[in-house]
Amino acid sequence: MKKIMVGNHAVSWGVMLSRAEVISAYPITPQTTIVEELSVLCADGRLKAKFIPVESEHSAMACCVGAAAAGVRTFTATSGQGLALMHEMLHWASGARLPIVMATVNRALGSPWNIWGEQTDSLSQRDTGWLQLYCESNQEVLDTVIQAFKIAEEISLPVMLNLDAFFLSHTAEPVEIPEQSLVDDFLPPYQPEFRLDPKNPHSFGCMTPPEYYMEFRYKIQQSMLQGKAVAQQVDDAFGRVFGRKYGLIEPYRCEGADLILITSGAIASTARVVVDNLREKGRKVGMVKVRLFRPFPKDELLEILRQVEKVAVVDRNVSFGVGGIFAHEMRAALCNEKVRPAIFSYIAGLGGRDVTPPVLNDVIYQTYKRQEPEAQSVWVGMRS
Amino acid sequence: MPEQIIFKREEDMPYLPITFGSMAWNKTGTWRYLRPKFENKISPCIEGCPAGQDIEGAMVLIGKGKILQAWDLFKEENPFPAVCGRVCFHPCESSCNRGEFDEAVSINALERFMADMASRHGRKPLGKREKRKEKAAIVGSGPAGLTCAYHLARLGYGVTVFEALPVLGGMLRVGIPEYRLPKKVLEEEIDQILELGVKAEVNVRLGKDFLMNDLKEYQAIFLAMGNHQSKSLGIPGEDTQGIMSGLEFLKNVNLGKAVALGKRVAVIGGGNTAIDAARSVLRLGSKPFILYRRTREEMPAFLGEILEAEEEGIEISYLVSPVRVIAENGKVSRLECLKNRLGPADEDGRRRPVEIKGSNFFLEVDQVIAAIGEEADLSPLPKKLGLKENAVLTDERGATRQKGVFAGGDIIQQPRTVVHAIGSGKRAAIFIDCFLKKKKWEGLFEAIRIGEQGTLSMKRYLQAENERASLSSKTVRLKDLNLDYFDYKKRKKMPKTQVAKRVGSFEEVNQGYAEETAVAEAKRCFNCGVCNLCDNCYIYCPDVAILKQGEDGPNVIDYDHCKGCGICVEECPRDAMVMEEERR
Amino acid sequence: MYERRELMYAGHQACAGCGATMSMRYALKALGEKTILVIPACCWSVLAGPFPYSALQVPVIHTAFETGASTASGIKAGLEMRGDTETTVAAWVGDGGTFDIGIQALSGAAERNDDIMYFCYDNEAYMNTGIQRSSATPFGTWTTTTPANHPKGQPKKNMMEIMAAHRIPYAATCTVAFPEDMMRKISKAKAIRGTRFIHIYSPCPTGWKAPSSLSVKIARLAVHTKIFPLYEVEGGERYNINVDPKNLPVDEYLRLQGRFAHLTDDEVHTTQETVDREWERLVKKALD
Repeated sequence: MKKIMVGNHAVSWGVMLSRAEVISAYPITPQTTIVEELSVLCADGRLKAKFIPVESEHSAMACCVGAAAAGVRTFTATSGQGLALMHEMLHWASGARLPIVMATVNRALGSPWNIWGEQTDSLSQRDTGWLQLYCESNQEVLDTVIQAFKIAEEISLPVMLNLDAFFLSHTAEPVEIPEQSLVDDFLPPYQPEFRLDPKNPHSFGCMTPPEYYMEFRYKIQQSMLQGKAVAQQVDDAFGRVFGRKYGLIEPYRCEGADLILITSGAIASTARVVVDNLREKGRKVGMVKVRLFRPFPKDELLEILRQVEKVAVVDRNVSFGVGGIFAHEMRAALCNEKVRPAIFSYIAGLGGRDVTPPVLNDVIYQTYKRQEPEAQSVWVGMRS
Repeated sequence: MPEQIIFKREEDMPYLPITFGSMAWNKTGTWRYLRPKFENKISPCIEGCPAGQDIEGAMVLIGKGKILQAWDLFKEENPFPAVCGRVCFHPCESSCNRGEFDEAVSINALERFMADMASRHGRKPLGKREKRKEKAAIVGSGPAGLTCAYHLARLGYGVTVFEALPVLGGMLRVGIPEYRLPKKVLEEEIDQILELGVKAEVNVRLGKDFLMNDLKEYQAIFLAMGNHQSKSLGIPGEDTQGIMSGLEFLKNVNLGKAVALGKRVAVIGGGNTAIDAARSVLRLGSKPFILYRRTREEMPAFLGEILEAEEEGIEISYLVSPVRVIAENGKVSRLECLKNRLGPADEDGRRRPVEIKGSNFFLEVDQVIAAIGEEADLSPLPKKLGLKENAVLTDERGATRQKGVFAGGDIIQQPRTVVHAIGSGKRAAIFIDCFLKKKKWEGLFEAIRIGEQGTLSMKRYLQAENERASLSSKTVRLKDLNLDYFDYKKRKKMPKTQVAKRVGSFEEVNQGYAEETAVAEAKRCFNCGVCNLCDNCYIYCPDVAILKQGEDGPNVIDYDHCKGCGICVEECPRDAMVMEEERR
Repeated sequence: MYERRELMYAGHQACAGCGATMSMRYALKALGEKTILVIPACCWSVLAGPFPYSALQVPVIHTAFETGASTASGIKAGLEMRGDTETTVAAWVGDGGTFDIGIQALSGAAERNDDIMYFCYDNEAYMNTGIQRSSATPFGTWTTTTPANHPKGQPKKNMMEIMAAHRIPYAATCTVAFPEDMMRKISKAKAIRGTRFIHIYSPCPTGWKAPSSLSVKIARLAVHTKIFPLYEVEGGERYNINVDPKNLPVDEYLRLQGRFAHLTDDEVHTTQETVDREWERLVKKALD
């Protein structure tokens, strides 16, 4: 069945199909319609879940922590400021090894106020022990919600899926709605090894002294690394059942390319058009969409980029003092390779500014033109 | 004991930080530098009771409705709870910490209550503990003599009591009127003593019917003949017909002899004999009035008795001394008296009466009963026993200077009360036992003494030495209690026969408690110094280190975990715990 | 007379004479084994024992400072989804986690009337971090952030009134010196559905600079001086005072504790006046 729906509703429907049991959320633009739809789905019984309308995002995540520890599938969604407020609890969720799934509708952070798209909110959370996936379309959003639960429960770590404010969240697209029975087979009920249970009392998250703490951190790191393979397996399995798969990264027309554009989220769609146009003109330009950001798919990227001369990374985010975060991660991932491309870093589309084909053309043009990357990220689409 | 869990390798650890074991392996007892300890101490009531009865223990039992067991406890120390429950001046109540708080626990009435209950149930005291071949002779069957007989019999000795009067009981039998101590009550307790195998010979008077030397077959002798000789007034006309001593009067009444009394009877004296005599006179249909040379403040009679006499309408004239008996036709007709004022205090602390010259006045009387005191007749006793000021000299054991001869009751130098007599009888039994068993007695006195006033405990005497050693000798005072746990509660009153009814007969005045009242009254007891499993220590312990051992205790301390915070000791309402320095 | 079963183990890490452990022990006696505790940052985070041990025989989740109520709400929802409607979910939170950093989450849960019990064991300062003032710290108190020459200048926040204003079904105060009262209230609260708030006055000998042996005595005096009255509020409106105070002067309470040693007669007088005024307000409500 196909339905026309906005990205936010694709999230809600993914959650419904995944049979989440406890949902706790606080409204924030542009996330609101996710939870509005979920509260409707809960209210009319299509989704049998407890919907807890908490008083803050911090409490939303705390509720999820509690519910997940009680042994149920939990979900929340937020954006920008809300995610920042939640920060403390993101660490708590991963440290407690709880497979919570959260949708982040990427939004720029204040001050000054801005409600539009930017990834700095989620990328600021990259060290919290959450897996991060970035989606390009509403279909991918719905499918990724289902995949996210599967991955999270497999490795006992929380998963954040990200979608661009308005470009996806509020844009309607046709979305194929998977069969519930197929989803049920793909994602069986959550049964954790340990949960809060008076019949089998354990204390969770107790004070852990230096002689043990580090081992638990090591275990998270191991699970996170394992998460890459698990995400791949889950995506493959999803593809077998539902006929759609997305990969950890998606190379687009990279065959024989001398320049590859690196993008994520909705910009990837624009980039596809730009690449197509340039290929028609004979330019050997390709594009890679990075879907999985944490754990970082270094090997997969290397596989594609090893022989390429130049890589232009378009970041809709900024780490002040460094520059584009994807670019930064790419450099870090490739720095020990003997043969590696030059990484050109571009910052574009902050605070919801449109990243149009001319902007991406400019990126490609500048990359071709320069012998070497600039010392700092180049800001594109700026007022001149 | 739970053990420590150690994960040697990272792979052995769970994937998430959760607990698998109890903190109980963590012996927090090592943090402690002070250690609490359960330590029962001495309740002041027990210290105050010359008979050494476990009053506190009995209060606990009565409070739980275990009346007969409470009586058993008393009977371990004293054969006369029914008697004492009626006639004792209850120094226990004067020592009761509750007295300083609101009103003393009504111990005396409870003693009577449990004795009455035991009587109704036909309860008997425990019998002989063993059979021994040695024999003891006891001269005098008053409370001292019979108490000694009781304990010696229970210790296994053959005992014979020699009594000068035709009946057993001494002053209890002939000195105390029926309305205070019914004969039936006394006889029942005496019978229980005889049932232990004690032999009694009556109408045999030392010095007249037998001599000390006639008692050679007995390995030990206890002398307790009492004070049966009345003191004389020492005034002109004292030998006139119509004058008799208080004791003689009471003896005659108690033995059922006809006593001729005139209409107006002057009773001279301020002691219990005077009050008893006056109240008996009233019951025989005459009009008594009491003349006392000092004021009510100084009266040696028990206040309760004075009050009851007043209730019954008996007139008491204070600061009056008779100086001459005036006869008419050979019979008493008038008494010449002088008024006194109070002078400086005597050696005993009471203010001395000083005659006011020229204050003479005359009273019309038909009869004079002189009840100004009794003394012992020590004439049949050999000097070598050690005699002084109309008393037999004894050491701390109650032993005279003659080997194997002990003395007690009113003939030795101690307060002349029933309960002191009982205490001296028990003391003699204990040290006669030591004497006959050739046990070392030096130091024993300290070990079996309860508190500081010389009260001895048969229970402690019978305990093994090591058991005894752990007992504290500290008496608990009001300041030692945690009064936050006690509420003000009025003492329960004992019902009495109405005045109108009692003046016409010798019916018992006090009617005793109903069971419900008794239980409630016993629960007023603070249980000073003795753990009664109130469980404050258990419930307040922040370290779960006070362990319950079933419902009847005792509670024990888990020193592996006790951190020595001291809350249990602080919150013990009754000073039954102490803190000690931790020795490592 | 008391439930004998112990759900708190000996061997926990509390200071000697700790009121918070007494409180926990009574609470668990009243709550029973079908209980899940949520413990945000507080003394109990430490004294419950380090990995892999627990001092408690019921399941516990340790969570972030401000999340006592919200985590509990989540657990309750989770249990209900699993079909468990019986287990009591109880947040066990210090005064800092309740009066200060956690008040938002608590207010949220109370407004939603989530079916949780919320215990605030109040030792009147941030004790676990080393005795810093909180909004539960009374007027005039010395703490490490309110030195004796500049003690706390504000009165203690009236948390019970805040909770009563939420019109939750049940709120009650209790303290370690009155274990029966405490257990009765907790048992009563346990049977009620919705948000239930139990405010436990828990002496801290370490932070109050008082001998460890006096923890219970101080708590008793707090009640009898009317500093911490024992009462219940049902439905946010029906007030009931449970223990008649002996009306002792506050000085009897203050002078046992080093944290008040610097108080001048005037300051003691001010405390007395405040206590009397608050008490009268409470009595009026109880009479309504």
